[in-house]
Amino acid sequence: MNATRLIRPAAPLLVVLPALVFLPVLLFLPGQIHGGGWDLIGQFAWAALTPSLDPLVLQSLLNGLAVTIGMALLGWALSLVLGLGLGLVSSRLLWRTLAGTALPADLIRRLLALPRSIHELIWGLLLLQLIGQRPAVAVVAIALPYGALVARVLSDLLDALPTANLAALRAAGAPAPAALLTALGPPLLPGVVSYGGYRLECALRSATLLGVFGLGGLGNELLLTLQSLEFHELWSGLWLLLAVMLSLETVIGILRRRWSMPGRFGLAGERSGGGSVGRRGREILLTLTLLLPTLVVVARALAVDPSTLLHWQPLPPLAPQGWATALALPWPRLVADTLVLTLLAAGLAVGGAPLLLLLVAPWPWGRRLLQLLWALGRLWPPPLTALLLLFVLQPGVVAAALALGFHNLGILGRLLLEGSEAAGPEVEQGLLCGGSGPRLALLYGRFSGLARSYLAYGAYRADVILRETVVVGLVAGSGLGSQLRESLSAFAWDQLALLLAVYALLTLVGEDLSDRGRQRLLGTA
Amino acid sequence: MPGPQPDPHRPVTGPPPVLELQEVQIPGRGQPRLDGVSLRLEAGERVALLGPSGAGKSTLLAVANGLLAPRSGAVLWEGQPRARSASKRRRQQARIGTLWQDLRLIEELSVQQNLNAARLAHWGWPRALLNLLLPLESEACAAVLQQLDLDPALLNQPVTALSGGQRQRVALARLLRQEPTLLLADEPLASLDPRLATDLLDLLLRQAQAPRALLLSLHRPDLLGGFDRAIGLRRGRLVFDQPVQAISTTDLQDLYSSHDKGAGGISG
Repeated sequence: MNATRLIRPAAPLLVVLPALVFLPVLLFLPGQIHGGGWDLIGQFAWAALTPSLDPLVLQSLLNGLAVTIGMALLGWALSLVLGLGLGLVSSRLLWRTLAGTALPADLIRRLLALPRSIHELIWGLLLLQLIGQRPAVAVVAIALPYGALVARVLSDLLDALPTANLAALRAAGAPAPAALLTALGPPLLPGVVSYGGYRLECALRSATLLGVFGLGGLGNELLLTLQSLEFHELWSGLWLLLAVMLSLETVIGILRRRWSMPGRFGLAGERSGGGSVGRRGREILLTLTLLLPTLVVVARALAVDPSTLLHWQPLPPLAPQGWATALALPWPRLVADTLVLTLLAAGLAVGGAPLLLLLVAPWPWGRRLLQLLWALGRLWPPPLTALLLLFVLQPGVVAAALALGFHNLGILGRLLLEGSEAAGPEVEQGLLCGGSGPRLALLYGRFSGLARSYLAYGAYRADVILRETVVVGLVAGSGLGSQLRESLSAFAWDQLALLLAVYALLTLVGEDLSDRGRQRLLGTA
Repeated sequence: MPGPQPDPHRPVTGPPPVLELQEVQIPGRGQPRLDGVSLRLEAGERVALLGPSGAGKSTLLAVANGLLAPRSGAVLWEGQPRARSASKRRRQQARIGTLWQDLRLIEELSVQQNLNAARLAHWGWPRALLNLLLPLESEACAAVLQQLDLDPALLNQPVTALSGGQRQRVALARLLRQEPTLLLADEPLASLDPRLATDLLDLLLRQAQAPRALLLSLHRPDLLGGFDRAIGLRRGRLVFDQPVQAISTTDLQDLYSSHDKGAGGISG
């Protein structure tokens, strides 16, 4: 009964603790505001209700949307193929069963950390410089980091499976490959399909983002309409994208429930599909068979040609003493800005979601309104939010953090709401019946049980946010991202190499920290 | 003469009944879940609610604690209908205490934090947040534990570390910490072994003294001993409402029999 034990914050408090970053942000915000564009923000908000219905505009937006969806679909499919293959070869269990040693698995895992640590946007911009403006660039840019991510998740899932069944089959004389497939295939499937569905949602967001930076599709149209202040047309595109994203999320949600797959938010008490096994297998197979011809048609329509990837453009010559200039960059400030940006954005997103839910708890329509706000947050590529914020804010860490935080708030908020609905109303109801207010009942009754898994997911998200800082850095001028843009446009490959190395190092350290944080949170649960 | 009919059982000058149901109707699929139920709970009364599974006992308790609003009929707590304003409603709810069958303890919190959760109706945000950080009002919490023969050293324990019997008592302690006038309990003895069940029932009956009143749904007619009155519920209708001494074995047999006297059908 020592003092440290007594003042340890309890679970529900931990959930709202990250929201403390709102204090410094709100403190510094007034100093960041410049008078400029409030009327622009007003026009932008009004345009949400009066989107352009001009058939020409809609036609061009729909074309862009089709390209974005196609890029997302192709990049996603390629990443799954890559991820499945790489995931299998980086599984310790597989190597131990087939070859007797897990060493190659560890080696491959280390190697895969590199493509994973670099954001798809950087991949896209690099490939753009190397290969030029080709449809295949966006697809590969998505597939590379996503493939490495899928590989990691798959091998983690594989290695975490109980091995008793495998041992039993091996002991009964089954050959290793057959035993592996029989013992590990069925338990692995739900996790893989569920994660695959989630990656498709991410791919749509990434494809939109890549478009903003000129890799084709709707993102480019959104950027152009924003820059030319054509807010009515901008909103036509946003509403279209919202419709597509919400339908995709709904379909994936329905399939996930129909096939009794686990949600993204590993909560206890989810049903396991007893009677649906046979049906599920058939339906998954059917979906896959339908997917293949679709992919071929999409690839034809987008004129994706893999052979273009082999034609590299010659690199411009390096400037003399480039390395000296590269080393003389203000590294400590760049790194510090990136870290502050990550912490602020992560705090805003992780703490903002429960805080907003608590705020609107007494009003039945409040939740609907939040869901719409969060959907917009997921949908909006952060650089566009940053551009919009720059109408009224100075470029810098605060604007970048708000843009990045808003986007991730959309993702975390949706998960928290799903989790809190899955957690069951009993305890909250009990508190309400005892006369406690709706906000406190939500905090005590629902957030208590969600706290650990939500924060564990938040730790994972913080790691993603660190990777994403480059995206807003390119626009809002803070952190390594802003320097990256300068080096890219100056063709300073030495600076670029150094920047990427620092970035990769930061994200790898961040990933390690977030893993440890997650293990601590989930381990003591 | 307009207004409600004077009740011969009730002294004219006394306080209003702790709980009063007038012709409460709750619709359900096929047959109503509650069909014209009226009852009255005076301060100091300890009333058992009997009936076969699906008779509407839980529904009745949900109406009594304000969770369910009847389609027609009226519910009065201490003579007042459901308050209109949110703050008055909260004060009204704070005087209704429910011991849930699944206890509804907050598993992630300590015993003390769980006990203090019963004070949330009266506490503002600062204290509600501080409760998640520091042990608050330890003396009051220790006092309710002692009332229920629990060791105050349990206060710092997480509720997950408690035994089944201890959890029941902590849930009851939380109920007392709420300081309600109406005590409701939904089959609180269902999952307990015989000795724990009688112990807990004794504790509950002891707490239900005026101005408090207790309404408890019971699946074991053999435990009726300590109650003042028993109410029989069958297919959403009140079958009997009389002092425990006046209840005959035939009453109970009729209540739990599988055949319907009127329609002759088989109830589920």
